[in-house]
Amino acid sequence: MPRERNWKGWVGKQLMFPMLGLWAIAIPERAIAHGATIEYRSIPALEVQASYDTGEPLANAQVTVYSPENPADPWLTGTTDDQGRFIFTPDSAIAGNWDVQVRQAGHGDIVSIPLEGTASNQSTLVVAGSGSSQSTSLLQKAVMAGSVIWGLVGTALFFSARSKKHAHS
Amino acid sequence: MNKQLIAFAGFTAIMSGLLTACAAPEDTQSEASSTTDSTGDASDPISREGIGILQIQANGEDFVRQGFVSKDGWAINFEHLYINLVEPTAYQTDPPFDPDGEGELQATAEAKLNESITVDLAEGDENADPIIVGEVSVPVGHYNALSWKMLPASDGAAAGSTLVLIGTAQKDGETIDFNIKLDPEYAYVCGEFVGDERKGVLTAGDTANIEATFHFDHIFGDGDAPADDAINTGALGFDPFATLASGNELAVDMAMLEEQLDQTQYRLLEETVAGLGHVGEGHCLEVGSQTSP
Repeated sequence: MPRERNWKGWVGKQLMFPMLGLWAIAIPERAIAHGATIEYRSIPALEVQASYDTGEPLANAQVTVYSPENPADPWLTGTTDDQGRFIFTPDSAIAGNWDVQVRQAGHGDIVSIPLEGTASNQSTLVVAGSGSSQSTSLLQKAVMAGSVIWGLVGTALFFSARSKKHAHS
Repeated sequence: MNKQLIAFAGFTAIMSGLLTACAAPEDTQSEASSTTDSTGDASDPISREGIGILQIQANGEDFVRQGFVSKDGWAINFEHLYINLVEPTAYQTDPPFDPDGEGELQATAEAKLNESITVDLAEGDENADPIIVGEVSVPVGHYNALSWKMLPASDGAAAGSTLVLIGTAQKDGETIDFNIKLDPEYAYVCGEFVGDERKGVLTAGDTANIEATFHFDHIFGDGDAPADDAINTGALGFDPFATLASGNELAVDMAMLEEQLDQTQYRLLEETVAGLGHVGEGHCLEVGSQTSP
């Protein structure tokens, strides 16, 4: 059973900052078979800072995130870093109050973060440690389409050349 | 010239195939974060319509059920710990009420027990569940705030008192049977319960609970915590009570404590009793018994 110290944990509300990032130009560094790529993009994220009221951070504390749609079951769990920080990317399609609880050794608090919803297609903009973005795929499709057209032209020229050869032979 | 053109067209077609084969899935989506353990399924939102049963509970935690050692070495065990709760009320609040913030409690629904109820927080064995103060049938939703008053009981085991602490304190072979009656009036307004489980989420046809939690280590301190821990530096301990005992008996009320404790000790007692009210680890404001949330 947790014991309460005569201080209170608090959860700072320094929130809603965009993580540093840039739009990736949609050309992969390499397009070699089985090569690896790392890309990046800008995402909206939330940072929670949890501290005792002495200022000491709630380091490595248990974090539970509840979405507005389902307050009964955790949407996300994790731990703060050694500075008491926790960063996560809420589903921007779910508008309402996102509740974040931070607890450690009998101390804890909960903060409610109001978020406005955005278009659901933007919810796919997530941090990507690997994988590719949609814009990259579009470029690949364009290259493919051009290749197919050029291939058809080449094929036509090939048969055209054979016809001329046969005509002259 | 035509042969070169044909070769180039073939090469281009092959490369397009390779590009397609090696392209990553279009919908690659990651919740990547070094601090993330797992994500739940938020695709099943709870229903916002219907009626359920909301229980309001009171909990003295293990300090009351199992006993504890005070900051000054007294092993304290409670036989009874009566507390008189008046009009405990749970709320759905929007925006969620933050007792540490500036905003007022804005309720969209409430579940109120229109009565004065004395409960014994020491009831049951050392692993007993929290005490059920009462229950009401109310609209579903998330009850994320709680208020209650603590006033002297008009009758019953705590008649004339807000709190009655009955038990024993032992130290160095000495045992003191104590009966401490306190009669201050308090009103608490609290935010959401913070603890192992989320409380107050009521769905149709179900029963949920919400808890008023009382931290008695705030009065006596905690011998398991360092002496310089805030829980001990801000607590009165049991020694000041022990000095008022007559033989092995201590029977005091608030007026006697005010008269016999020194001014600093009495002020500290008032502060720590006022700080008893919590919601799990969550915070409460003591707003004065004449104030409505």
